[in-house]
Amino acid sequence: MAAIPSSITVRMYNVGFGDCFLLTFHYGASERTARHMLVDFGSSAAPRHAPKDYMRRIAEDIARQTKGKLDVLVATHRHRDHISGFAAEGAGAGKIIAALKPDHVILPWTEHPDAAPDARAARFLGSLETMHELAGAALRTSRNPGFAGRETRAQLQFLGDDNLKNLSAVENLIGMGKRGKAWYVNAGMTLNTLLPGVNITVLGPPTLEQSDSIRTERARDPHEFWQFCNFWEARLRTLEAASKPATPPDDPPPSVRWFIQQTRRVEAAQMLELVRELDTVLNNTSVILLLEAGSRKLLFPGDAQIENWTFALRNPSWRKLLADVNLYKVGHHGSLNATPKSLWKLFHHKGSEQQPERLQSLCSTRSGKHGNARAGTEVPRRILVEELRKNSAFASSDEDCASGLSKTFEIRL
Amino acid sequence: MKTDQSSAPAAVRLHAAPPTRKLTILALDPSVRSSGKLLRTQIEIPNEVLSAGPRGYRVHIVDYDATTGSFRSPAPIPAGMNGESGPPCDPFEKLSEDRLLADPDFHAFMAYGIVMKTLARFEFALGRRVGWSYGGHEIHVAPHAFADANAYYSEQTRGLHFGYFTSADGERTIYSCLSHEVVAHETTHALLDGLRERYLYPSSPQQGGFHEGFADIVALLSLLSAQSVVAKVLDLGARKASGEFLPRAQITPEKLRRSGLFALAQEMGAELSGVHGQALRRSVTLQPRADYLTSGDYDEPHDCGEVLVAAVLNAYLEVWVERLKAIGDRRKLDRQRAAEEGAEIADRLLTMCIRAIDYCPPTDLQFGDFASAVLTADWELNPHDEKYRLRGALLASFKSYGIEPSSLCSASHQEGAWDRPPDGFQYANTNFDSLQSDPGELFRFLWENRGPFRLNEQAYTRVLSVRPSIRTGPDGLIVKETVAEYHQQLTVLARELRGLGVAKPSGMPADMAVTIYGGNALIFDQFGRVKYNIGNSILDPSRPEVQERQSRRLAYLWEHGAFDSGAARMRAFSRIHAQRGTSWYRSLRRPE
Repeated sequence: MAAIPSSITVRMYNVGFGDCFLLTFHYGASERTARHMLVDFGSSAAPRHAPKDYMRRIAEDIARQTKGKLDVLVATHRHRDHISGFAAEGAGAGKIIAALKPDHVILPWTEHPDAAPDARAARFLGSLETMHELAGAALRTSRNPGFAGRETRAQLQFLGDDNLKNLSAVENLIGMGKRGKAWYVNAGMTLNTLLPGVNITVLGPPTLEQSDSIRTERARDPHEFWQFCNFWEARLRTLEAASKPATPPDDPPPSVRWFIQQTRRVEAAQMLELVRELDTVLNNTSVILLLEAGSRKLLFPGDAQIENWTFALRNPSWRKLLADVNLYKVGHHGSLNATPKSLWKLFHHKGSEQQPERLQSLCSTRSGKHGNARAGTEVPRRILVEELRKNSAFASSDEDCASGLSKTFEIRL
Repeated sequence: MKTDQSSAPAAVRLHAAPPTRKLTILALDPSVRSSGKLLRTQIEIPNEVLSAGPRGYRVHIVDYDATTGSFRSPAPIPAGMNGESGPPCDPFEKLSEDRLLADPDFHAFMAYGIVMKTLARFEFALGRRVGWSYGGHEIHVAPHAFADANAYYSEQTRGLHFGYFTSADGERTIYSCLSHEVVAHETTHALLDGLRERYLYPSSPQQGGFHEGFADIVALLSLLSAQSVVAKVLDLGARKASGEFLPRAQITPEKLRRSGLFALAQEMGAELSGVHGQALRRSVTLQPRADYLTSGDYDEPHDCGEVLVAAVLNAYLEVWVERLKAIGDRRKLDRQRAAEEGAEIADRLLTMCIRAIDYCPPTDLQFGDFASAVLTADWELNPHDEKYRLRGALLASFKSYGIEPSSLCSASHQEGAWDRPPDGFQYANTNFDSLQSDPGELFRFLWENRGPFRLNEQAYTRVLSVRPSIRTGPDGLIVKETVAEYHQQLTVLARELRGLGVAKPSGMPADMAVTIYGGNALIFDQFGRVKYNIGNSILDPSRPEVQERQSRRLAYLWEHGAFDSGAARMRAFSRIHAQRGTSWYRSLRRPE
């Protein structure tokens, strides 16, 4: 077998709102020598007109394409829209994936099942757990009749659902990691032995210490960190305590009804804000992978947002590496804050259609599910999509896979 | 319906009622104790015949909890409180500590009391009635608004909302409405919004920071104008204090800052750290340094505001310690006297800071504008400043924190104060009487003087307010002034900016509509003549710094997403407060 792949096939599956990418590295003409890497497999909203068992069908297709053997599996972070397909319960897509016996399973350092490296990290991981519970509590509250307007409620349920623990998927992933080899990664690690002729650099997520190193003098105040933990713990505690009113409430007289109505609106908007906040924190645990094969570079950043990216973007040699990326998996389904301007500026290969070796961008998303255009929070974000269309070869699972399970992209080396 | 009618006071003989009443509140958060006891104090607030709630002419307590979705009936007015038999009584004066902490009716009355007191404080300093930004007369106050370590002012609900939460050990419930500081802070947000509505619009880090910093300054100086609180600071600061005397060696600005105020902040923050206690803690640890505001590390509104708070607190300590030199002997000084002085200085400083708002430009406020405003406002009423030398101390302290007064005052009366405008206004067609209260009359005056006021004729101009104001002058005579503000806005396409001398933010689409603002505060003297004209012209070809300010503002707003749809008004204090707690993973600085 040749030591360097001759071409790479990137298969973007249409999972609706979610991510699922299968990368096949070809070494010469023989299919037997091909190697396969799966990056995420999750969905939080079905594609348009999809059959009910669309996730199982995709899992079966992955099994077919890989001839029953997966070399590398990546779960960028613990959000339903990235890992729900790994759940072994229910439709059983996760069992199909587990049967592909991945040799290597890559997960962010925050998912390490055993002891955290130190007390501070343990505290941080505890906070992430708290956030999942909080998402559950917010989800339950949002179901109360009359809790909020239709739009706010739909947003709360969508985000709340995405941030639940996804325990079955996580357990399956850990199990696969134990049978093969698990890599719990952070920025700066290299995984160059997993696939022949492919160098993998991990650009994120940063560890707590790495985050410290880029924070300002003042923000390094240890108080900030403890507050972060306390913040989520306190919110969960009080939300739970408040779920049962102690005395039967009185009937509000007309003089206070206007105020009560306005207050409920503000309260619902606040809860949505809070859930968005925790969504961001979890997005920022995303693994960012840069794959190099020959002269080609592929960038898979999961849902990493600006806070996660900041560490990588401070590193001059990584900035140089990022300059000639050929394929960019658009971060966080096309939301604006997951493609930092400073990252986009680095890409040399972007440009109009005449641009030789034009940058390919792949956006796995489903419009009309996340945020709204009026508030400027819609995903995918219109102004980002316009820029991607103008200055790269842009493909979106929402529009380009409509006729089938997936769309493939060939990269010749 | 069992409320309102039944509680409405029928026939109360108001003619005999005193103008103020006393009401017991907690001077400091329940987490702060003095010899094991809560720090209670009686505040003096305007007297009125209350309805159940309590509900009065400016404040309406509504005990609605949004987390549980439950409403609690208005608190009844205890017998004697409405002056049915003699002067109004204070029903909480003798209540046990346990009752005070646990009684939701007391929570309601305490919140009512502090909102009323803060309002009265503003009206006293400004010499006129003060309104809310939304035009109504009452503000709603929810003392148990939601289960969260948070509190906020909301224009949407026309209300103040105070959360409650479980203590870290899970043992007790902490009520933010029982924190004097928190209630005064949120009330100040509402009052400042009524006085300067443009300050809640996105503009620059300092304008956002000003709302936070000013609310902290008012809250902290309100606390410190209570003698019992100052005495507590002294006790914490001078550890070897015994009985009535304090060792003089222990009384230095540094000791009072480090051990006094800092320790007080620690005690206040012991349980409420998610909400406020921090403002004081942070501000007293900021040593004078001139580069905070230019470093880029203080752009978040709370961080930025703390620099202003630190400058004012620093001046307070300097003045106080200086003043203490005059009392006692070489080795010790009288504790009671020292506390009296501390409370008096806090009170005066508070009046100065509130009065300064009338002398602040209505748009795009910078801390340097506030510095000039404080110095001007105080000079007007107290030109000599001999007893406490507050202006001198403030000016020095502002400078030591890098806050240079915006006015390069050429006049000799007070360094840093605003200049009087050159006399060249046309008064011939103006009716003096209506000019004191009628926005239409003021607009005519502005328009007829558009030359001297440098109005931009392309812009939309609106008079925001005209208010007569009555203050007592240094000679004891009444000074009648008229305080007015107007505002201009000009909307152009981004590509037109260059022609106006304003830089288009890089990356901004050429066909994007962009609005730039300007506006002035006007003070008319008792003869209806323009005494001060303070503000920011929208554009001024003869002064490049005006265009540079607009360029900076646009660049900042563009970078911070204020031009995204839906982000037009950042009127969300709760969000700013909540971010305090979540700033860990998000506090990384952006690389752009």
